[in-house]
Amino acid sequence: MEVNEFINQNLIKMNLESKDKDSVIKEMIEIMAENEIITDKEEVIKKAMEREEKGTTGVGKGVAIPHVKSDAVKRPAVAFGRSDAGIDYGSMDEKLSHLFFLITVPEESHDEHLKLLAQLSRNLVHDDFRDSLLEAKDAEEVMNILENI
Amino acid sequence: MKKIVAVTSCPTGIAHTYMASESLEEAAKKMDVQMKVETQGSVGVENELSEQDIKEADAVIIAADTNVSHERFGGKSIVEVAVADAIDDAESLINQALEKAEKGEKTEVKANLQGQVSDEKSKRKAKRSGPYKHLMTGVSFMLPFVVAGGLSIALSFVFGINAAEQEGSLAAALMQIGGSSAFALMVPILAGYIAFSIADRPGIAPGMIGGMLASSIGAGFLGGIIAGFLAGYVTQWLKEHIKLPENLQGLMPVLVLPFLSSLIIGLLMIYLIGPPVEGIMTGLESWLQGMTDANAVLLGLILGAMMAFDMGGPVNKAAYTFSVGLLGSEIYGPMAAVMAAGMTPPLGLALATLLFKNRFTNQEIEAGKPAWFMGISFITEGAIPFAAADPIRVIPSIMTGSAITGALSMLFGVGLKAPHGGIFVLPIPNVVTNLGFYALAIIAGTIVTTFMLRLLKPKLAE
Repeated sequence: MEVNEFINQNLIKMNLESKDKDSVIKEMIEIMAENEIITDKEEVIKKAMEREEKGTTGVGKGVAIPHVKSDAVKRPAVAFGRSDAGIDYGSMDEKLSHLFFLITVPEESHDEHLKLLAQLSRNLVHDDFRDSLLEAKDAEEVMNILENI
Repeated sequence: MKKIVAVTSCPTGIAHTYMASESLEEAAKKMDVQMKVETQGSVGVENELSEQDIKEADAVIIAADTNVSHERFGGKSIVEVAVADAIDDAESLINQALEKAEKGEKTEVKANLQGQVSDEKSKRKAKRSGPYKHLMTGVSFMLPFVVAGGLSIALSFVFGINAAEQEGSLAAALMQIGGSSAFALMVPILAGYIAFSIADRPGIAPGMIGGMLASSIGAGFLGGIIAGFLAGYVTQWLKEHIKLPENLQGLMPVLVLPFLSSLIIGLLMIYLIGPPVEGIMTGLESWLQGMTDANAVLLGLILGAMMAFDMGGPVNKAAYTFSVGLLGSEIYGPMAAVMAAGMTPPLGLALATLLFKNRFTNQEIEAGKPAWFMGISFITEGAIPFAAADPIRVIPSIMTGSAITGALSMLFGVGLKAPHGGIFVLPIPNVVTNLGFYALAIIAGTIVTTFMLRLLKPKLAE
């Protein structure tokens, strides 16, 4: 199981257009839909919103990780988006979010996929990992960083 | 160095659980605090906290948006926050926890007795492994069913030994709770959790189904133990040897494993275990028929030993049905012997747990208390948890005591006209003849059982 099995350059958007929380979630899910990761966009949006209601996935330090577990997801995948201007995501620390990871997994997932996602999540806690993502020039560089987790 | 243990968990269990864990570990490293974090995420529990970890910890942090059980942290300083708080500012969380520990603020956790008992139990369990551990897991899950069922039945006798026959009465309800529900679940639970211990969750279904079949074919708790081990090892083997293409792997836990394993165990129980069990029972019954005219004391000895051998299995049932059958021919001696012999196993074990505490686990010592009531009520099942946990030593002990009780009862010429009820039949006029000697036989058997347990059971290593 390699990182590039659930993220590739097509799933990376360096300049998110959205200005608020709801639209950035939809924008990220749109990326998943374009890459045929998900079968039912509306269902995935609904699930993502439900998750946010239980508690924001804006975990602070400029990071948000909306995620969805649903039958409308074909395979585990991660979409990455960056907003240099920052988006008010209702984060814990009330700061703007710049790095967005949308994680989608099917209801029945293999442990190895989940473990890799767990590994990605763990890395987000580290300052230097986040900084390198903020400074990355293009999707290729982001991929390089992610492949080295 | 201070030590903190933590549990992190979030609803989906994909991201926050692990971020919180990482944050806590990072912060702890910076602050020179020893930290162990258990993650309860979508892959299940990882890095599980051991009894030892919790014991050594100065404080506990629970960072969770789900319901994390507090029971095992009884008496510790606990800081409980949302999972995001741990990601956001792990450092201040650790400070908070240490401060709380410093002030000695203990969180009262209402751990029920069962919780404490099983914690205590698991401490010892950790030192053991293999089949013994599996057996103990099954027994500890079965125990509450035995206690609840046994005491409900005993309570129903308070209203009169035949009160439960009155439909719609409270006594009947108690009998329904204890006899046809709690006791019916006893063997399936035993088998199910033996299998669970071996093969994890996929073991439960085949184990319980096998245990249920052990009950219905009359194989008793020994049959249940066989079913549990069979189910566990078969399921484990299937898990390791069935290879499905990746896109079909989702079918393994929901379809393939439960169906295949239950089918295999079910068929084995019905066709392999069932016939010999039935053979033993009918064989023993006709053998006993031939003994009717033999030496009464010898008959009592044999009936007594049979009662204690498998407690609800074929041997026990053969002795019991034989004696109940004789009531119709106005022969009351064997019934008295059988009931007395069915009372001494729980009584002897209860006494032994009282006298020789260092030979029993804490859980068993606790289980000894309700065993007194089950003993005096002729609910032999009260001894099953002890026998299931250590069959090789406990079964011979209780058989010896029961055999002696049976023999003495016959020797004293005691007669009993009621097929059940234990001590509750004694106040009824004319049901028991030679009451004083009957009590003596039961007390003697109890003491012999206790003595045998003292002899056979080794001291537990602490």
